[in-house]
Amino acid sequence: MNADSLFHIYFNCDVETKEQTYAFLSEAGCPRAAAGQQKEIIQQLEEREKAGIPLIAEHVLLPHIESEHVEESSILLLSPAEPLRWGETAEDIRLVIAILLRKHEEEAVKQKIARFTRSLADDAFVDELVTTENEADFHQKIRTFQEEL
Amino acid sequence: MKIVGVAACTVGIAHTYIAQEKLEGAAKKAGHEISMETQGTIGTENELSAEQIAEADIVILATDVKLNNRERFDGKRIIEVATDIAVKSPNKLVKKAEEVLAQKQ
Repeated sequence: MNADSLFHIYFNCDVETKEQTYAFLSEAGCPRAAAGQQKEIIQQLEEREKAGIPLIAEHVLLPHIESEHVEESSILLLSPAEPLRWGETAEDIRLVIAILLRKHEEEAVKQKIARFTRSLADDAFVDELVTTENEADFHQKIRTFQEEL
Repeated sequence: MKIVGVAACTVGIAHTYIAQEKLEGAAKKAGHEISMETQGTIGTENELSAEQIAEADIVILATDVKLNNRERFDGKRIIEVATDIAVKSPNKLVKKAEEVLAQKQ
């Protein structure tokens, strides 16, 4: 993906727990944020999860927040090297799609993100993302989708 | 069966739109007419008209937050669930709507 892309892909990512995953997402999604702000983002993700585990399909999580600590909105697709156990509530997580939305984001960016989230209602598309084993193929699927935005 | 509904989640960027798409797909697959309004971070989209609401046999509210203009549905048969239910089990939710309608007839 381009550096200015909304999408960021982390394939075969070396994370093993929910805590490690949230720490990774916070750092990757907000690389210029201070450590305290990244911690705030982790807390917001955990807070959001109190309303329910963000499982949207078998093996797929969609944690998402809107935060004043997010400098640039992004969609982070994280494919763990090994299926994750997610706290006490879920196991065999193979794809984490995190949306970090900047507070007061422009409507055009929100529209793009909404179009992507709508696409996640397509079980076949989600299944393709989950089962793609090759990193280049994964990038291509997202690139193809992005071109249609 | 004519279904109208609203989807609205906490952040308004994810479950709102997945719930809308999933419910529309499930209802159409089951042979029903459906129109889903979304109240998300980009505001209200596909806003239901008074006529659509009046003609609806049942209302499905898939929400995690307080809805705007909920009183529009006063007097209608309403099924209210969290967006999570619409995302994970849209077919069951449409089936439930069919059952509720059948019971009331």
